[in-house]
Order: sequence, then C-alpha cells, then structure tokens
Amino acid sequence: MLQAVTSLSQGVHRPDDRAVTSDLTVDESLLLHALGWEPVDLVFGVSVTAVQAGAWTWGRGQLQSPSDAHNLAVSTASSRLRQECAAVGGHGVVGVRAGVEIHPRHVDVALVGTAVRPIGSDRPPVQPFVSGLSARDFALLAAAGWSPIGLAFGASFVYAPRRDAATALRQSRQNVELTNPTQALYAAREAAMERMQASGLALGAQGVVGVQIAEGPMTFARHVIGFTARGTAVRLLAGEHRTITPDIVLPLNDAVVQFEAEALRGRR
Amino acid sequence: MSAAGDVPEAASRRLESGSFSSGLSATDFSACLQMGLRPVGLVQGFCAMQWGWYAAGSSLGRGLSPFGPSGGGGYQQNWYCPHGFVGGEHRTWGQNFEQTWVEDAWRTGFSAAFDRMLEEAESVGAHGVIGVTDTSRHLADTRVIEFHLLGTAVVVDGAPSPPAGTPWSTYLAGPRLAKLVEAGFMPVSVVATMASVRVWAYCITEFLMEGGAYGWAASMGSTAEIEQVSEARLAARVLAREQARRQLGSDTLQGIAFSAVEREIGAGDQVVECTLRGTRVRRFKDFDPLPPPRPTVRLS
Repeated sequence: MLQAVTSLSQGVHRPDDRAVTSDLTVDESLLLHALGWEPVDLVFGVSVTAVQAGAWTWGRGQLQSPSDAHNLAVSTASSRLRQECAAVGGHGVVGVRAGVEIHPRHVDVALVGTAVRPIGSDRPPVQPFVSGLSARDFALLAAAGWSPIGLAFGASFVYAPRRDAATALRQSRQNVELTNPTQALYAAREAAMERMQASGLALGAQGVVGVQIAEGPMTFARHVIGFTARGTAVRLLAGEHRTITPDIVLPLNDAVVQFEAEALRGRR
Repeated sequence: MSAAGDVPEAASRRLESGSFSSGLSATDFSACLQMGLRPVGLVQGFCAMQWGWYAAGSSLGRGLSPFGPSGGGGYQQNWYCPHGFVGGEHRTWGQNFEQTWVEDAWRTGFSAAFDRMLEEAESVGAHGVIGVTDTSRHLADTRVIEFHLLGTAVVVDGAPSPPAGTPWSTYLAGPRLAKLVEAGFMPVSVVATMASVRVWAYCITEFLMEGGAYGWAASMGSTAEIEQVSEARLAARVLAREQARRQLGSDTLQGIAFSAVEREIGAGDQVVECTLRGTRVRRFKDFDPLPPPRPTVRLS
C-alpha cells in the first residue's frame, strides 16, 4: 500500500497507458487478465421500436406486431453494441446486461457491457462477439474450447383464448383441463424458444447457453401473456470440446456452534 | 458556503474529538488495517440544489427551434417532417439536444458535496477516503435535490502527503480495495457524471410513440424503429461515458455503476438522464500474471 500511495504522490504516469472504462469487478478484470484479455471500454446498444396500434386489443392467438417489435429492437440494439465495440477496437463484449421493457406502444431495449480484447491487440475482428455471460463464464467456455458469438433471442405474445358461452356453462362445475389456453400457451412458449434458436442459427451458432425465460401477463393488457427467451449463442472454436476436470474441494471447517439465548429459558 | 467552504463547526468538533468513526463493516475495517490503512474519521459533504428549470430555457434559447443557436457546444440532432404543410398542430420539426444547463447543475451539486467531503478529510490529515457512497434525492416534496457523499478518511503511516494536499478517494473498501491494490492499481478519485438529453418529437416520432406503426411502418413492413428516441437514448449514454473519459487522462475507470432514467413528458417527448459512477485508478506496477484459473467443485 505504501508503494501505491507513494507512486500517486510522486505523480508517476505510465505513458503507454490509455483511458479505459469498464464495469467489470476487480475479480473479473483479474480473471480476464489471467486468460490474456483486457477491458477496453464500456459500450452501449439501444433501440426503441413501435408496436402497431390496437395490437394488444384486437389480437387472436399469437400477436405478431409486439413479437416483431421485440425482435427488431433486440437485433438493432445488439448490432449497435457491436458497432461501438468495433469502434473502440474491442474483439467482443462480455457481461452484457439487457434491459427490456414492453410498453403498450413501444418496446425498449438497452444493452450495456464491457468491450474486451486480447492484451495489446490492435486488430479487431470484422464481427466482434456479444456475450450475456459473465467474465467467469467466458473463461469457462474458453477453457472448454467454445466461444460466444452473439445474443440469441425470441419473443411470443399470445391472447389467452376464451371458451364459448355454452362450453363455459357446461364446464362451470367441472374440474377439467382448459384445452384452449393449454394449447395456446404451449404454442407460444415453443414459438419463443424456436425464434431464439433460429436467431442463434442465423449467427452461425451450434448452441445457446445461459437461457433466461420470462413469462407472464402484460401489466397493461392482462388478457395477453408474453414469453421472452434470450441467451448467448456459442460456437466450438477448438477442434473438439475439451473436457474440464474440476478439482474437488472439501472444506474442513468445523460447523459453527451458535449460542441460542432461547434455550436457556427451556423454550427449545 | 462556497463550493469548498470551511468545515462546519459541528463537523470540526466531531473530527477533533480524539476517537474515530467509520462507515466500514467489520470485515472492511479488518482488511484496511491489514493493508496499512488507519481510519481517522467518517467524513461527509452535502449540497442542496434547486432543481426545477428543465424547460428549453437556457439563456441561449436552445431547443426552441431547429434553426436556433446551437450554443453550449452540446449534442444536437434535428429531424424534419417529410410531409410538407399539413396543419397548424402538425410537428414539422423535432430535435434531440443535450441539456447542458441541467448537467452543469448536477455537476455543481455533486462537486460541491465531493469537495466538502475531501475538505473534511484534509482537515484530519487523511491520505485518502475509502468506501465512498453518494446519493442524490429530493428533499420532501420540493424542487430541491440534496447531494450527499460519505466515506471513511484513512491515513497510511509513513506515506508522503497526497498531491496538492487533496486526498485520493474510492468507492471501494476492504477486500475489494485490497485486491485492486494487489493487482497493481491505486485509486485516484471517484468519478461521477450525468448526461441529460431532451427529445422534442417531430411528427413521425409522435405518431410511432402513440402506437402508430400501422401507417408508416405498415408500408415498410410490420413494425419500425423509432429512430429519434433510439438516437437520444444512445447519445445520453455515450455522453455520460465521454464526460467520464475526459476526466481520466490515461487512467482507468474501474467498476462502473451505470443507470438510466427516461421520463416521458408527452407523445414522443421525453428526457433521458444517465449517470455513471466509478473509481478512477492508476497503474503503479505491472500486473503480476495470475496462473490460469483451475475450476473447482465444492463438496458440502
């Protein structure tokens, strides 16, 4: 610490250093450095797309306009993130956090992450990668011979179908499966996953990892249920998958014995 | 009180009392002692700013017209209606512009509170301030925002005085600070920036934000991007980052916490505000290369 404080007091600057901005933690920076990578800059990708008028009110089955708006917003934001990354000389973006908000009239997508590159490299690739995985997961993937490519995503919005009056009356005192909603939800979930998978394939991926699925009724249109799925598309770079053999760690700490005041009064 | 006025009497009394207080947890406190950092006091700075003038009302008249002066040197982008004259209420032009006067007010409030915190630290002979927290919030239901910075002043026994007598500062403390120094970085200062961009919608933005993709977008496909709003939100983020970069020299901004707020004012009209906080750090020695990490599985 004394060395560090003294160097600051002496105003020591290293002329080869350049300004860097990064939202990585100290641990993540160290881990990336151990792999031969360094942060370059904090980069952003944003897109806002319009949803057709009446899309939530008059739909039947799957609603096309909100789904298209979601996909357009994510793909546009993602390509802007790549452009920013390439502009600062990054080879890819790690730890991308996605803010997706679906409003009645528009879909907002904001991506933020840290552009990284191999230490000292000044020749960025034509197509930088985008990864929603943490630096730790990036390190694990690299160790296994895989590389992230981009964000894979899909969305589906379904209008929960109603039974006709006669069926509703007939089933009012029965415990029965409601086949309409079951089928609609099944189809919508599958559609979201399928679109995500298709977007991964379009990037040239062999798989998608770290998939996150969100679902539930839209707050502004309770009769519509939305599904979104997104993950990181990955591709095998090495000749074949490298098996990781983790060391097994068995902590030998004693269990902590805690003092329990209640026990003194005989309540336990 | 000036931006860096005298330390208030109550604060001086507390700081001279002979004992110290700190905002550190027991873990952080132990780690700091281990690193050779001796806490000498809890230091803080405040600044209450009136916060009401958001309108396109700078003295330069920016935002009043796309043909108006572009004073202030901030980001500005104009959008023009493609339809010709339609009617008196038709928005024939739109504009994205950086609200430099809002950013100036934020910077004034933050800097004043920050300088006052450092002044308290200086008064107790501290080398640095660690574990800084900063908040800005509305005071009750008023147009006043209070900036509050708080941290723990520390001394490094045997170290020379900080440059120009101004203590260094960091959002980090405890084990995370220890790891940063071990990695070869020394904190220089906390850095916080804010960018504000106003969207003054033109006809197409207004229409699309109201769910009007049916008209224009239907002819182009099923949906469309609202370019003016996308551009504004991206610009606000980039402006916040560039403001921070200008303060860095050749240093690194570590562990950035980024946040963005969008406030819709009307159909398509909105204000985008982005804040960015981090610790400016300087490399004082080469990285000691870590061995490649080995994955482990915990049996417990």
